[in-house]
Amino acid sequence: MATRVNPEFIDDLVRFGAEDVQLCYQCGDCSTVCPHADEIYKFPRKSMRLLQMGLEKKIETTLEPWLCYYCGQCSEQCPREADPGETMMSLRRWLISRYDFTGLARLFFRSRTAEITAILIIAFFTGSFLLYYGFSGGGIGIYDGEGAFLPSSFIHRFDLTVGGILLIFLLLNAARMWKFTMIDGTHVKVPWWLYITEIWQFPWHFFTQKRYAECEKKHEHPVYMPWLLHLGLMLGYVTMLVLVMVFIEALQSGPEIVWQVHIFGYLASAGLMAGTIYFIRNRLKKNYVQYKKSHGTDWVFVILLTIIVVTGIAQHILHRTGVPEWANYVYVVHLMAVVPWLLRMPFSKWSHLIYRPLAMYFSSVRREAIKRQEAVFNNYPVFVK
Amino acid sequence: MEEFRTGVYICMCGTNIAKIVDVEAIAEFARTIPGVALAKTYKYMCSNPGQEMIVQDIKEHRLNRVVVAACSPNMHERTFRSALRSAGLNQYLLEMANIREQCSWVHTNKTEATEKAKALVYASICRVKHHEELESVSVNMCPNVLVLGGGIAGMTAALELADAGNQVYLVEKNNYLGGNLTRIDLTAPYLYSARDLLTERITRIMEHKKIRVFFNSTLSELKGYIGNFTALIASGNGTGEKRDKTETVEVGNVIVCTGYKEFDASRIVHYGYGKLPNVITSFELEKMIREGNIRTREGKIPKYVAIIHCVGSRSQEFHPYCSRVCCMTALKYAQEVKSAIPGCYISDIYIDMHAFGKGHEDFYRRSSEAKTLFLMYEKDDRPVIHKAGTKDGCEMLIEVNEKLSGEHIEIPADLVILMVGMEAREDSHDVARLVNISQDKEGWFIESHPKLEPVATTTDGIFIAGTCVAPKDIPDTVAQARAAAARVLARISREKIEVDALFSEVNENLCSGCRLCNTLCPFSAIEFDEVKKQSHIISALCKGCGVCVAACPSAAIKGRHFTDQQVMAQLEGLLAV
Repeated sequence: MATRVNPEFIDDLVRFGAEDVQLCYQCGDCSTVCPHADEIYKFPRKSMRLLQMGLEKKIETTLEPWLCYYCGQCSEQCPREADPGETMMSLRRWLISRYDFTGLARLFFRSRTAEITAILIIAFFTGSFLLYYGFSGGGIGIYDGEGAFLPSSFIHRFDLTVGGILLIFLLLNAARMWKFTMIDGTHVKVPWWLYITEIWQFPWHFFTQKRYAECEKKHEHPVYMPWLLHLGLMLGYVTMLVLVMVFIEALQSGPEIVWQVHIFGYLASAGLMAGTIYFIRNRLKKNYVQYKKSHGTDWVFVILLTIIVVTGIAQHILHRTGVPEWANYVYVVHLMAVVPWLLRMPFSKWSHLIYRPLAMYFSSVRREAIKRQEAVFNNYPVFVK
Repeated sequence: MEEFRTGVYICMCGTNIAKIVDVEAIAEFARTIPGVALAKTYKYMCSNPGQEMIVQDIKEHRLNRVVVAACSPNMHERTFRSALRSAGLNQYLLEMANIREQCSWVHTNKTEATEKAKALVYASICRVKHHEELESVSVNMCPNVLVLGGGIAGMTAALELADAGNQVYLVEKNNYLGGNLTRIDLTAPYLYSARDLLTERITRIMEHKKIRVFFNSTLSELKGYIGNFTALIASGNGTGEKRDKTETVEVGNVIVCTGYKEFDASRIVHYGYGKLPNVITSFELEKMIREGNIRTREGKIPKYVAIIHCVGSRSQEFHPYCSRVCCMTALKYAQEVKSAIPGCYISDIYIDMHAFGKGHEDFYRRSSEAKTLFLMYEKDDRPVIHKAGTKDGCEMLIEVNEKLSGEHIEIPADLVILMVGMEAREDSHDVARLVNISQDKEGWFIESHPKLEPVATTTDGIFIAGTCVAPKDIPDTVAQARAAAARVLARISREKIEVDALFSEVNENLCSGCRLCNTLCPFSAIEFDEVKKQSHIISALCKGCGVCVAACPSAAIKGRHFTDQQVMAQLEGLLAV
């Protein structure tokens, strides 16, 4: 059965950031320079082709966009300036909107107004709720302990609730991703135990982002800075998430500094600060190919992150320096940014935190399955038509 | 009888010959042959010092025959003939022994190769004894020119010739000038208007005192030879002798610019041309574009437009060649249709994108920028066009194995444009027969050398230009037309023309008038004298091929420079060593 070409698809992808796809004439230079493309995962060339032809169902089942870390070498090499790197990026945005069953991701990627309105609404409700709660039970001048404006036990419950909601969305979307890629998109038989033998891929790629380091142009940098900062930002992020979800009581206690806990907070903040400044600087200077084009959501991402980091550090300093009243106000602002930020995660680029290592894991399972089948064919050539 | 004093020159051709053939041994051998005055070897005989040596030797040693053992005579016979001429010797007293292509290049055993070279040299020495001093003949050159075809090629050639002051007779089959180009709107890649290209030329031709245009006319007979042709032009309606009137003109040269016709798309069943209403040819789209009204047959604005390349071209079933203009024309349509209907989607289904010319690659890029979807199919794995169902949202679906993705896909289409290729006109065979030129198996006229003589033919005085030679675009066509005109002008400026002395002669005492040779001659060089009842060879037309010599049952025909004596002496020499 022939697959129907959809020439209108690229018009849709423009909203996700892919503007120059039709310039590509399939020379394959991009796949040649890409350190990650191989026999089985032929990107960006193949992905560009599927996109040009608008084979939505096919793209939905591909893992290739996730295997790309956007080093930008392909875009530099492209003789037609078709920007394959940015195309892979916009395909990731499109895939996020596909995995998301609510349709919110699609809405947010396509409309800045919708995204900012949603953030403001959630921030408003969060702020109102916290102020109402604070003023009804505590005093604005007390930061922690008896009669506190926002007691740490309450914040803990609040954080876990928000985190739970986030997790539900994320798990459902990840399940959809699995169905698309491993059920619909894998045409060889996948033995169940491959999922177990390859499981190490997930934490390995999650914590090391080893493949990003492989994007390095070996002769130009002793250490690949984008990778290091990306890793720093991610580790800072995860550390902060763990601190907030598990150690919030210790974090909020004081004004004395609890070094066993706060040291992690400082490190995480440093990582987040460095990463955020680095990204803003590059997006403004556009000195790397991968920062030449910024999607609207990218700006929302860094701006929100900046607010969170700045207010987080500020409330910490205000609390420790004996200005609890101001510390409480800034804390409310901080949470007004954190909650939309967290809730937005399954519907934004931020979700690549989960999808990317998952894709590494799935791609590895798929590769092993393909290898196994090839081995069978090689041993029993009679079956090969 | 004069004493034979033959000079034998053996070329080493760098190492080309000397590596396999022992040239010194050959020189040694040659010196022993009676009648050989001297035998020399040299590194490059064709070089200036090499030629100079031959000239000096002819003068000093009073040589009256020269044998050069070197490469093929195709390569350097002219060089050595001119050496003989400059030494005051008749140029036909030269014979070449080909010891490179026919010996050193094809053998590996040195001893055997040297023996073979000896035989070849000996054969040449035997032959050259029988060579005769021949003189080439000269004929008058009539300055009038006949141009067949009033397309862009014919008009360009006619203007070029007439502007130089020569009378031109331009014969056009239709009642208008411009040919196939009149059916085209804009030209790729610079989007010049075809009308602008034509009108200036047509106006100038119609007003030109030196050009006479015969509309609704064809050439019905061409007699004579270079410089002295008599052409019979039939004009008016009807065909052949039923024409309204005929006229005879005298011309010295003929330029054939009869052009092409488009491939009949209905021959390819896959595309359903003629059955599916919205499958049209490129020329039909040109008509729509000129009318400014791109619509489906039902009068709707098409949303999906598909362009299929290589219709009739580049396939073993139809024509194996590339028609050269369709790729750029297709890209032009992609841009034109997109700018006429901005909301439509264009799929361009191609085999390879041939963007070879000046400005073509940029033009290709601009079509990509206009968001054309390029889809590649494998040669001979043609797309198939079906009627779409009611739910499909389009008129037709094109099914194809897309080569770059490896996917089997179907493409929606409301309007399909078939890029029909060029093919030789159905009457090209008649034209070829009338002016006595050859055609290849596709029907294109054959040039006398594909690279070095692209507008000349094997018949002197007949030139070819434009798309009757092979498919080509407008710049190439115009270049060829001007080249042909330049060749003719060079001829005319000489007033008389030398004809090679290598023609055949009929011995009237022996000819029985059987006329066998008349039909065999591939150059129509033999005419029958009705009074004497004997055949006569027009030396200006004869190429000296020798067909008549071999065929004549009375041995009445002698091929000059290839007499029985000469050929037999060569054979005997070859077998004697």
